[in-house]
Amino acid sequence: MTQETQSALTPEVRAMIGVSGAVVEAWGVVDAEYLRRFTQAVMDPDPRYWDAEFAQSTQYGQIITPPIMVSYLASRIRPDQDDPVTRAFEENPESDGIGSIERPGELPPVPTNLVRVLNAGNELEIYQYPSIGDRVFFQNKYSDIRERVGRDGRPFLIITRETTYKNQKDELLCITRASTIRR
Amino acid sequence: MTTPLEDLLKMEPEEILARNERPKADDLRNKQQLYYEDVAEGMELPKYIYNPTPTHLFRWSAAIENFHRIHYDLDFGLNHDKNPSILVHGSWKQSVVPQFLKDWTLPRGWPWKAQFEHRAMLVPGDILIMWGRVTGKYEKGRMGFVELEIGMKTQDGVESMPGTATVVLPLRDGPDIPYPFVPPTD
Repeated sequence: MTQETQSALTPEVRAMIGVSGAVVEAWGVVDAEYLRRFTQAVMDPDPRYWDAEFAQSTQYGQIITPPIMVSYLASRIRPDQDDPVTRAFEENPESDGIGSIERPGELPPVPTNLVRVLNAGNELEIYQYPSIGDRVFFQNKYSDIRERVGRDGRPFLIITRETTYKNQKDELLCITRASTIRR
Repeated sequence: MTTPLEDLLKMEPEEILARNERPKADDLRNKQQLYYEDVAEGMELPKYIYNPTPTHLFRWSAAIENFHRIHYDLDFGLNHDKNPSILVHGSWKQSVVPQFLKDWTLPRGWPWKAQFEHRAMLVPGDILIMWGRVTGKYEKGRMGFVELEIGMKTQDGVESMPGTATVVLPLRDGPDIPYPFVPPTD
């Protein structure tokens, strides 16, 4: 790092590592209709998702759902909040459709003036398939923030947000990690 | 025997599509267990081949309530974000990964973990090949751990999702893989 280039990994940024959000219950429960739409959209015809008699004969003993389906359950817009899609277009007719949508359980922003966001990758750890009727609880955490230096000599950050998903029995379902580059 | 990825990428689009090995419901219902002992380094997994249309992208947006216009609003994608077309969702690719690993390890194995990056913009009309290759294996806690290189290539050989995965297969004379899955401790 040259003297002219200041580190992007400031003490304030470093202090965000390990910061967790609240444990939030996703709106609704894991249900058969959501399961049907999800599995058709991902094009997975597995009868473990819809044939109750067959599913009962498997080691799972019941219908299962795709492991990370719950991550989209968690990002649902709650019906008890203002309609953020309509608001986004009222505020900006050229809205990208997601810009101002607030999701429950979000983490405080990382205090950096690096504003360009790029997707750096994902990690999945799977422990149990969610079941129909499950309530889903999730918690976000900044699990890692690293600094790298680009080809142009400027530092950038790789910020990893970890989300842990559990069911109503506090059983671990899966852990996802999404890393973004901030330039 | 699956068509080697290298050979697949030399084929015309129609030939690639004809080599799709995505299982049907009855294939998954009747899947025979693959055991740890059956697996060798270099072995390739069956190829899942997709040819997404705008309707597939819209169906995924609706299913997961993703309102980002780059995935369904062609005018916005072309003129606002200057993309070549509407874009295939990274979230859809991410959801194919556990399906791909689940299907290979069924009925009693476990698709434990995966990591991957998102590269390249994928658009309707692309032919997408979900692929995997065994890179290593080890026994631990009387379970068989198999390490994989995975990805999703276009018909032109562009890798859009380079990654790795670890799945667990039962040993022929071993116990059942625990469910819910509990990795062995060191």
